[in-house]
Amino acid sequence: MTTLINQNPIIYEASAGNSTREWREDDDNEDAADPIDAQEVFDLIRSISDPEHPLSLEQLNVTQRDHIQVSDENNTILVEFTPTIPHCSMATLIGLCIRVRLLRCLPSRFKVDISVRKGTHQSENAVNKQLNDKERVAAALENSHLLEVVNQCLATAT
Amino acid sequence: MPRLEQLAELQGHEDRVWCASWHPTKPILATCSGDKTVRIWQATNAQDPTKWQCVNVLEGGHKRTIRSVAWSPDGRQLATGSFDATTGIWERDEDESGDYECVATLEGHENETKSVAWSKSGALLATCSRDKSVWIWEVEQDNDFECLSVLQEHTQDVKMVAWHPNEELLASASYDDTIKIWRDDDDDWYCSDTLQGHESTVWAIDFSPEGNHLVSASADQTLKIWQRFEPGNPLGIVTPRRGEPVWKCVATVTGQHDRCIYSVSWSKTHGFIASAGADNTIRVFEVSSASAEAAGRLAEDQQKALNEPGVLLEAKLVTETKNAHGTSDINSVAWYPNEEHGDWLASGGDDGTIKIWRVVKD
Repeated sequence: MTTLINQNPIIYEASAGNSTREWREDDDNEDAADPIDAQEVFDLIRSISDPEHPLSLEQLNVTQRDHIQVSDENNTILVEFTPTIPHCSMATLIGLCIRVRLLRCLPSRFKVDISVRKGTHQSENAVNKQLNDKERVAAALENSHLLEVVNQCLATAT
Repeated sequence: MPRLEQLAELQGHEDRVWCASWHPTKPILATCSGDKTVRIWQATNAQDPTKWQCVNVLEGGHKRTIRSVAWSPDGRQLATGSFDATTGIWERDEDESGDYECVATLEGHENETKSVAWSKSGALLATCSRDKSVWIWEVEQDNDFECLSVLQEHTQDVKMVAWHPNEELLASASYDDTIKIWRDDDDDWYCSDTLQGHESTVWAIDFSPEGNHLVSASADQTLKIWQRFEPGNPLGIVTPRRGEPVWKCVATVTGQHDRCIYSVSWSKTHGFIASAGADNTIRVFEVSSASAEAAGRLAEDQQKALNEPGVLLEAKLVTETKNAHGTSDINSVAWYPNEEHGDWLASGGDDGTIKIWRVVKD
């Protein structure tokens, strides 16, 4: 058995059900514009599994709704995530999982930036640079082994 | 003011288009894609540049994304660089089928080949990779390619290689935020200069028509223009290595692109620079000497003290086309290489399409 990088992570309570999104007036109106908001993005990524633990990114507090910024009008999304420990070697993989999830679920008009929350990882610049290099991401997704690992983490995403 | 007029939209690729490359003498375009193919496009008749068709599809040569495609200077061969780590050499069977065949596969890079470029004479081929190296190959008889040199001075992925327009001098751009200039001394290739100044990955580079300037495009959202200073230059810029020129930044374009810039092309016929990237916009710049006050040019004594020329050039925005590929990133822009259609520009995007544009002066 390999040693876990973070053997004993703090577990947070995940919100019940599939979404914590509140019902809105327009929800039943199919003609209404339905802008993407931070809650919707959060709902897409909160149930992704951590690569190390049988827990979700929300349960580990890696992703939080308040750390997501969305401008539907400008087609931009910024997701900041918090590795459980500052030397987490899984940070790039977690970021990649978030990126792939959003790539698969959101309209392609969005420009998604993903970064480690400032001050929460010792190689934050290196991790951020890699996660936002589309060529490296494209190449990573052609690596069948890596893609399998990503798909495992995404299997729990609802 | 000039503007870009769209002549044609070319559809056929099934994934993002990474690179577009014009044939050196004919109105033929080669494009490559995440769909692992190269497509060859031709205007259906010479009089009407709005109608194009795909005349060849090059497939089966690569197992993964084809990142880069380049015509040999004589237009007889195509080189392709792929994420499968190999470089393909393709030739058209002129006599029979008219199809392109892969006549050689160059192996050696440890992982993704990102860019491939032929020297002006066609005698040399350069490739670069995520393995941090630049390889220089000698083109021999019978589709034989011999590796002359493996250059390993970049500390990160090498994103692009570009040859000087008429000398055997190579530039490479890297994820390590630098550009390196490579020269040879009797077949012994070495790094003659490292250009520092960009604050993030340098994605693309292109030389000016005469080759004394180089433009670079970066994830730091700027373009920079670098100038070559020979020993004994009038500005007194020190050239530390005996007999070797140095390259210095003489202009920085900021406040234009507001996301990563993926591609830049310096027209060899009219001198306009086109750039494009993740902000969906193609921009065209005209380069001129900087006026002293506009540029805040360094005084002569400051130049000497800092050994920096300061701002010598200005790149003024001539025109911009927003959402040139809708909401998609634009990965490649390329000016037509000669006078005949020098006002044409090709672009390729994440939407899988290629567009042909013409600069129109109203």
